[in-house]
Amino acid sequence: MGDHPHAGLRRVAESRPVASRVGDPADGERKAKPRIARAGEWRRDYGRAHPIVSLVAGRTGQGIITLFLVSLVVFAATQLLPGNAARAILGFSATPQRIHALELELGLYRGWWAQYWGWLSGLPVGRLGTSLANSEPVWRLAAPRLLNSAVLVAVSGFGGCVLGIALGAVAALRHGSLLDNSMTVGALAVLAVPEFVIAIAVVILFSTVVFHLFPGVSLLTPGENILQAPRLLVLPALSLVIVTIPYVYRMARAATLEALESPYVEMARLKGVPRWRVLVQHALPNALPPTIQVVGLTFLRLAGGIVLVEEVFDFPGIGQGLVNAVTDRDIPVIQFIVIALAAFYVVVNITTDVLALLCSPRRRIPA
Amino acid sequence: MTEREFELSRRDLLRYAAQGAALVGTGGLLATDRRRVTRSSATAAMAPRAKRGGTLQAGLSGGSSSDTLDPQNWVNLVDGARVYSLFNPLVDFDLAAHPVLSLADELEASSDAMKWTIRVKPDIEFHNGKTLSADDVLFTFQRIVNPKTPALGAISLKALDIAHAKKLDKYTIQIPCFTPFSPLADILASYDFFVLPVGFDLKNPVGTGPFKYESFTAGQQSTFVRNENYWESGLPYIDKLVISDFPDEVSQVNGLNGGTLDVIDLLSADSIAPVRSGGNNVIITKGGGYTPFTMRVDQPPFDDVRVRQAFRLICDRDAMLRTVFSGYGTIGKDVFGLWDAVYDTKLAQRVQDIDQAKSLLKKAGHSNLTVTLVTSAIGSGTVQVAQVLKQQAAAAGVTVNLKEVTSSEFFGPNYLSWTFAQDYWNYYPYFSNVLQGTLAGAPFNECHTNNAAYTSLYKQAVATLDETKRANIAHEMQEMEYSGVASGYIIPYFNPVIDGYSSHVHGVVSSKTGLPLGAYGFKNMWLS
Repeated sequence: MGDHPHAGLRRVAESRPVASRVGDPADGERKAKPRIARAGEWRRDYGRAHPIVSLVAGRTGQGIITLFLVSLVVFAATQLLPGNAARAILGFSATPQRIHALELELGLYRGWWAQYWGWLSGLPVGRLGTSLANSEPVWRLAAPRLLNSAVLVAVSGFGGCVLGIALGAVAALRHGSLLDNSMTVGALAVLAVPEFVIAIAVVILFSTVVFHLFPGVSLLTPGENILQAPRLLVLPALSLVIVTIPYVYRMARAATLEALESPYVEMARLKGVPRWRVLVQHALPNALPPTIQVVGLTFLRLAGGIVLVEEVFDFPGIGQGLVNAVTDRDIPVIQFIVIALAAFYVVVNITTDVLALLCSPRRRIPA
Repeated sequence: MTEREFELSRRDLLRYAAQGAALVGTGGLLATDRRRVTRSSATAAMAPRAKRGGTLQAGLSGGSSSDTLDPQNWVNLVDGARVYSLFNPLVDFDLAAHPVLSLADELEASSDAMKWTIRVKPDIEFHNGKTLSADDVLFTFQRIVNPKTPALGAISLKALDIAHAKKLDKYTIQIPCFTPFSPLADILASYDFFVLPVGFDLKNPVGTGPFKYESFTAGQQSTFVRNENYWESGLPYIDKLVISDFPDEVSQVNGLNGGTLDVIDLLSADSIAPVRSGGNNVIITKGGGYTPFTMRVDQPPFDDVRVRQAFRLICDRDAMLRTVFSGYGTIGKDVFGLWDAVYDTKLAQRVQDIDQAKSLLKKAGHSNLTVTLVTSAIGSGTVQVAQVLKQQAAAAGVTVNLKEVTSSEFFGPNYLSWTFAQDYWNYYPYFSNVLQGTLAGAPFNECHTNNAAYTSLYKQAVATLDETKRANIAHEMQEMEYSGVASGYIIPYFNPVIDGYSSHVHGVVSSKTGLPLGAYGFKNMWLS
């Protein structure tokens, strides 16, 4: 392993199983669970920062630079889009006098650098600016949408991952059985269907044609958040769970299979360890790091991919907000939403890497 | 099918919405006397079956975070729905798209059409309890023409000297004109002239409309409640009106069929079957709005009138309407103002004539013409009809290259400058449309028409109060548009409007203006 702790991590991410636990030094003493040394102890024992600390610090630094670059690129992109907020707002009623009046009002006569600096300098003090489209503070516009989408992503991500991992493990255990084969084919079939088609199918099944169980559109009273109206969450979340399961399922199945076929599992079996225990105690922990990476990727995919599902359900989330903002050339809102999404990417990446590191003891010990 | 739909709606109308019915009945008659447009308030008895109460959920097409409640500066159609619920204009369109008095009790021009006297109805209350007076009307006009923030309507009021308007008594104002101007009723009915109280505050939008403001979130939803002091007695029937923005038609239909929504609007023909199979109703209206092809008459190749004529002959309008709207709608003859009393119904229907088109192009020296058509999803069916034109043009040896742009780019700096493009027009009475579109210097003159004879005819028309004379002049002008001399438009059809409503909603009617749901007549709707 090199000097950089995440050089090793990246290899973990390539979903290779961690080497046999049977051979791990920690395995000798059954009760001594792999314990994470406190940072101070680590520094004392190894003479350098704990890999997790340096990982988080390094990644956070990189993340901030990334966010800055993203904001710059997105701002530049908004400048390249034809038209501006004044024209977008006035639409077909845009006469030169009205455009001029509105451009003055919105401050669009300023150079792009002045607009960008105005935005950037407000950021550290939490001043996000006001929407060009309707003069509301950006935070007040975007925060409720952010919350709604966060809930949708969390619920469907959690549901999709739990079910996906469980089904994947079961399929791996029954490798080659009818159950395994049919689930694998089913997963492939679902993967091939676009998200919005699944959403529409869910609506047809549960809202409009077959059953009338849940609302097919998530009409939320402004000021209310989705947690106060959980019924509206059901179908969008169900659609996304269906979309998510196949990815997680395939990954979890492959990882568990690989672990199950490894020499240490064979060893454990030969020792007469019960089947469930082989799975839970030996195979699953080793299948965990790649699965964590998949879970992380799933959440990232959901965050970017809920736009279409939000559209089908008219769900008042961040995806719809972003589409609206781009249509309106509402730069402060675009900037905020993109930065929020980018920050989510950074945080999820750091978190998955840390979790993957925690799950693979060998990676925590420097070579 | 179209006819049957309309008849059904008519019957509904007669049975349930007596008020609206009265408007249909009287509209045509009133429109014939523009000098003195008066009407006693339509106070027909409330239909026996109409029930009070309930919340109506409307899922309307369009909207974005730039949604506004400003009744003089609204842009998208969901804004329109909200504005029509909160406010009233002085003059409104009835269901046949003829101007009738709304808040105004009298609208009278001096005999030289140089002065207008406007009197509003007495005892009309704003939502805050204040009584509507002449001051409010003056304020309304001043706000529209405010030079710092001119509203869209300012353009159409150019002939009026608002700065010198004065109050005659508590309910009456008088506005002098710079030049004689007779079609004021047409203008005032045209969507942008809602009456506001002095000191109007957009944060607390107070109007005289059938519903009162409760909440509003741009791009999402608004909630209005019944105005119990509404001046049209007995209306509205519902207690609460919730209007939600819907960017996507599929979710509109799902919302209706799933029972979340009660009414939805502006559907494509593809949605008719799903709405019906969901046990809900469809209402199809022949509207007066249109999406013309716009050919710039000052740029080659369209500066040659024969090329413009050839392009009009290339169009198989039936096929276009069939492809885009499954045949619903009205075939056009390249002349606008479809429902106006001055619209010349005697103009012959133009049909496809490829040979004639080829020969015209040959005479103009453009036998193998290639043009670029800028298209964009700016109105329903615009991109599809552009594709149909491309195919039809190929038959005449004309290559039409389509350049599809986003609507933001379409309305960007090149808007009104494209050589060959499309546009979207709501229904306007004839002279109101001329004033905004085809007159030299008109604000939305996409085709850059500038015909001296045409302009002079317009000036004569707006200077006279004689209806017959005006209709004759209008016919002459329409002849010039029809022949292509003073027009660069191809108007293949007038768009139909397709709305859906749940079987427990009553009083949904058609408005020929093409504004959906009977020009957002939520006040006439009731729930069973």
